[in-house]
Formats: sequence, structure tokens, C-alpha cells
Amino acid sequence: MKRIYVCHDTLTGIYSALHDAWVESRNDDAGIRFRGKIQQQFFCDYLIVDENEVKAAKIERLIKRHLGYNAYWAVYHALLSDEERKAEAVFHIMQEARRIQDSHKIMDHLGDENVALVFELSRRVSNESHMYEEFIRFRELQNGVLVSEISPRTQVLTCIAEHFADRFPLENWMIFDRTHREALLHKAKEPCRILLDAYPDSEMLGKLSDDEKRYEILWKGFFKSVSIRERENPKLQQTHLPIRYRDMMPEFSGE
Amino acid sequence: MYEHIQTEMSIYDKLNILSDAAKYDVACTSSGVERRGDGSGMGNCRKAGICHSFSADGRCISLLKILFTNECIFDCKYCVNRSSNDVVRTSFTPDEVCTLTMQFYRRNYIEGLFLSSGVMKSPDYTMELLYATLYRLRNVYNFQGYIHVKAIPGADQRLIRMTGYLADRMSVNIELPTAEGLRQLAPHKTRKNILTPMKLVQEQTKENRYEIAVRKNSPRFVPAGQSTQMIIGATPETDFQILNVAESLYDKFELKRVFYSAFVPVNDEIALPAVKRKGPPLLREHRLYQADWLLRFYQFRASELLDEHNPNFNVFLDPKCCWALKHLEVFPIEVNRAEYHMLLRVPGIGCKSASRIVKARRMGNLDFQDLKRMGVVLKRAVYFITCQGKMMYKIKIDEDYITRNLLNTKERLPEGADGMTYRQLSLFDDMNFGVNDAFETVSGKKATI
Ligand code: SF4
Repeated sequence: MKRIYVCHDTLTGIYSALHDAWVESRNDDAGIRFRGKIQQQFFCDYLIVDENEVKAAKIERLIKRHLGYNAYWAVYHALLSDEERKAEAVFHIMQEARRIQDSHKIMDHLGDENVALVFELSRRVSNESHMYEEFIRFRELQNGVLVSEISPRTQVLTCIAEHFADRFPLENWMIFDRTHREALLHKAKEPCRILLDAYPDSEMLGKLSDDEKRYEILWKGFFKSVSIRERENPKLQQTHLPIRYRDMMPEFSGE
Repeated sequence: MYEHIQTEMSIYDKLNILSDAAKYDVACTSSGVERRGDGSGMGNCRKAGICHSFSADGRCISLLKILFTNECIFDCKYCVNRSSNDVVRTSFTPDEVCTLTMQFYRRNYIEGLFLSSGVMKSPDYTMELLYATLYRLRNVYNFQGYIHVKAIPGADQRLIRMTGYLADRMSVNIELPTAEGLRQLAPHKTRKNILTPMKLVQEQTKENRYEIAVRKNSPRFVPAGQSTQMIIGATPETDFQILNVAESLYDKFELKRVFYSAFVPVNDEIALPAVKRKGPPLLREHRLYQADWLLRFYQFRASELLDEHNPNFNVFLDPKCCWALKHLEVFPIEVNRAEYHMLLRVPGIGCKSASRIVKARRMGNLDFQDLKRMGVVLKRAVYFITCQGKMMYKIKIDEDYITRNLLNTKERLPEGADGMTYRQLSLFDDMNFGVNDAFETVSGKKATI
């Protein structure tokens, strides 16, 4: 019977599932599904994965060693995407890598549908991360902390952490991911931390600093006055800056 | 020193006035330098640059683009800030510029500062203010993000040099393509005055390369290079003249970028074309950027793209297609053997796909399917290439035939520039190649002759 490994849609969860699948089923066709998103099928064995960091670390090492760093990063990014088949696709490319001559070249085999999918997904995640590096806006609270709330489709927080930590080393800041209920926390001069199951405290977030409104108004004024009226072109603006990012940007609020 | 700078006006009004006056400078990129923060302040730089927003005209907003002051002793006819205009004048203080930059930056609104200025009192006086501002931003506020600053023509060389060590990019605008145009429209500026600081920046950059080779952590002088801007359509130059100017700027001054700015009339001025009704010549600007790209990355020379008899770009076809159509004798080329620089000349093959082809064909012969996967736009390329001796379809190598087919494959123009093509198509339904006339009307050239 085909084995289906069931895990949480988190990196630790998926890596643990990959670990078990690799140990028990690397020569068979096996599936990986996420809790709460399963449609039971006949003739399948559903196995609930015991998730832990040890398994995860083991399989990460294995991927780095056998598939190389390039593939490792592609896999890492792909696993942060919002695609249900992502974990299975990674399992299949690990199997595929055993069949080819140089397993480090696995990501070049774009003819393989799983490789193509992992590649596509990793691009999707890095593209979205890049969008957030551009369009994230921080607001200053009364206690001087900078806060941002985002609703990304994929789990971008770990991808953008390094960028903002390097940029604002002396600031206290946090980014809430409303979609995945995670938060990225940065205390001045310390490394970033990820907080799971994070719910923003709306009361706290409402306490903006006195300066905050002032700078938002200044920014909105600037945003208006730099545009050249004779060249106005909302369609072009929209291709570059899709509507779904705009609700966090003060320059588009109150329009 | 800053005694006559107004202080009563609110920062909001100042920002409005001084950003409004700066917006015609089209350079807004924050690219060209990769720098990590050192942990002691705020900011870093990314090689590719980062856009943070897009204004209603669809242009990227990356830098806080402002003038230090819109006071000006000069009287350039195309400029809102010219001394003869009756507009509200104001100036920032260095500290105001720093605070705005820092506060915008930490909210992730911007990638850095683009500081330009009118000429207040004298070029030296103005340059000193710009220097003071950058010095403060770098050393008091510890700002490590991107700074683009203008060098004021005619300012003391030492000041320009010192400022360059604080900035990432410096630019002096060439303003108009010819010295004659400059004489007419910018009576206080001369070609020489503009080229002198450009040369200075170029030479100092060379010297700095040497300094860095000797001592690895010597300070960097304008690490993202220098750029300039030309106003298009305010004076009657042809595209050929403009492109030649750009080419010699790249050759002689090692500029990173030449920007083209479609002329937008802001003053009622008899010496200027009245393009108000038609809007700025956006398609022309677009063609110039395409050609500029060919100069910088495709090893084309200006003289290959245009000449005295064909001095303007085609409205309907991009410059690379035009070149290929005029050189049908060299086509078709065999993809599996042609040199890299020839591959680059095929419409539909870009830099990326050309280098992919060169890499991939070492492993074996390529066919049309492979090319498609490598990002070649076959719709355009089929007329010019063979794979293993065969063309994709039976094709007549005939100028009219290929031209007609290329015109049928719709070119992807930026929004706006595209709308303009349609307007022209309906105006000039005669599809033969006498489009230069049409073109002159669009570019506003007719108006001045
Ligand atoms: S120097 Fe000329 S272009 Fe510059 S601000 Fe003064 S009038 Fe305008």
C-alpha cells in the first residue's frame, strides 16, 4: 500500500516527514500531506509523523551533501511556498537525484516535472520576499518600536530577516505575518528571532508615536508631488505595484 | 552661514515645493553598489537597487528626491526654478534633510537620498551646503544607505571631490544634446562648465581605484559611478545626434548611465516647442532607452543604428529589428556556430539567452525547441537563424516580407508608450517606411523649425 506521511506545514514538520519517508520508503512511491488538508483515499497507509529537530537537521544535512547547496536553497525556499504538493515534489527530486549521474546537478533537470515544480516554487518565494523588501512599511509605536504587518502568500519572514537586520541593527522592530501567524522579532544589536503562533496585540499596535502621523503625512505629500502629471499612467503603476501590497502602504491609504 | 534660509515655512510645504521641483530629474535608481551595514548606524546598499514605491506616473520611487533649494541665480528656459520665474522660494537646512532621510528610511519608504539643488548665491556656496548635508548624514547620523548627489557646474573642484567621497553616485546633467541648444536655452551654462566636473569625477574615480588597490579600506569615491541626463524634444536635435552624444559620454567619461527625459513644458516660453497638447514624447524616449541598451550591452555603435540619412528611430520597430532588416545579407546565422556578438544581433535573442546558447551548445547541437526553452523569442528570431542548417519554416529572406511579419508580432511597449503607437497608427495609416515625418511631429520637432 502506498504510504502517506502526514505532518504540519512547517519546516520542521516537512523535514521530519521527508526524513521518515527517506528512511522507510525511498524506493517506493510515497506521499506527504499536511494535517487538516487531507482527503482520505483508499489503499493508502496514513502515517502521522513524529516531528522533531533532530530528524529535520539530519535530512537537511543529507540534502546539502547529496544535492549540493544550490538545490538545498531551492528546496528551502520551495518548502516555504503555499503549494500543497511541495513536500512530495521535494521527496521525488531526492529520488530522482539518485538516478542521475551527478546528483549535484539535479536542479538542471528541468525536464523532470518535480524539479520544474521545486524550481518554480523557489522562485515564487524569493520573488515574493523581494516584493516585501521593497514594499514593507514600518510604523513607529510610542515606545519607539517599529512594527509592520503583512499578509504574504508564502512564508517570507526568514527570507527577509537578514536584509532588515543588517539594515536596522540598532532598532527594535517586528514584522507580523498575518497569513501564517508568525512574527519576526529584532531587538537592537541582537540576532532576529521567529515567533510561532504570534498574534499581534491590536491595542499595542494602536499606540502610534506622535511623530508617526507626521511622517506619514510628509511621505504622502512627497509621493504626490514627485509624480509628473503629464505622464500619469495608472496601468503602468499597477504592473509594478500590484494592488494587494497597497493596504500596508501609507501612500495608498485614504484614497 | 545659513542666515537667509527661510525658517518660517513648515517642513511639509518645503518638502512639497522642493520635491515638486526635483521631479523632472529622471534618475531614481539606487543601484551600482553593494554594501553591508557595519552595525554602527543605519542602512546598507544592494547592487541591483531597490524600488520602494511607484508614483502615479508609473515611475519607480527609490530615493528621497529633493532639491536643497529652489533658489537659483541661473535662468534656464526649460526649468521651473529659473531666476525669472515668480515662484515661492525655499531651502532646507542640512539638518532637515538628514532628519527626513533618516525617518523615511527607517520606515522603509526609501533606499536613500537624491540631493540636487538650484544655484543659490554661487556654485561654491551651493556645493558647500550639499557637502555639509552629506557630511552630517554620514558622520553624525551614521547613514549607510544610498546617496546620489549633484555636482554643481562651476563649483570648486576640492568641494566636489570631498563630496564625492561621501556619495555613492554623482551626476552632472548635460541637459541638452548640443552646445548650441545649451546656449539658447541655458544661457548661464556652458558645455565646458558641465564637462569639467564630469572629467574630474572620472579622474578621481581612477585614482580611487588605485588607492583601493594599495590600501583595501581606503574610502570609496562615488562607488556607483556617475550618470547624466539629457532633455529630449526641447531642441531640434535628431535621434542620431542624441545617440552620438550618449555614445561619446560612455566612451570618454565612462558614465554608468545616460538618462533621457521626455521634455515636459513647465514654462510658457517662445523658445520652446509647444508639446503640451500631445503630451511628452514618450515613445521617442522609449526608443532612445532601447538604443542606449544596445550601446551598453550589445556592442552596437551609434553609427550602426542611425545615420545622417536615417537620423531618427522608427516608430513601429525597435532599433535592433531595424538594424537586422537593413543587414539581411549577414542572415540567417547558424545558432550552433555563430559567435556570441553575432547572436546578440539577432532580434529575439537577448544577453541572457545568448550566453545560455553559448554554454548549452558545448553539450550538443541545439534545435528550435531548445532555443525556446532558453528564452529566445522565436516569433522574432525565426527570420534570422538556422539550427543545424535549417530554418524553422520556409522563409523568404526579403526585407518587405520580414518587415510585414515583424510588424504583425506586436512589440511589448511600456504602457503609455504603447497607447501612443496606436494614436500614431491611426494618424498615419500609410504603413510604408516614410515614418520619419510622422516621428518629427510626435517629438515636437516640427514645432521649433
Ligand atoms: S541651474 Fe538652471 S536647471 Fe538648475 S535650477 Fe537653476 S534654472 Fe533650473
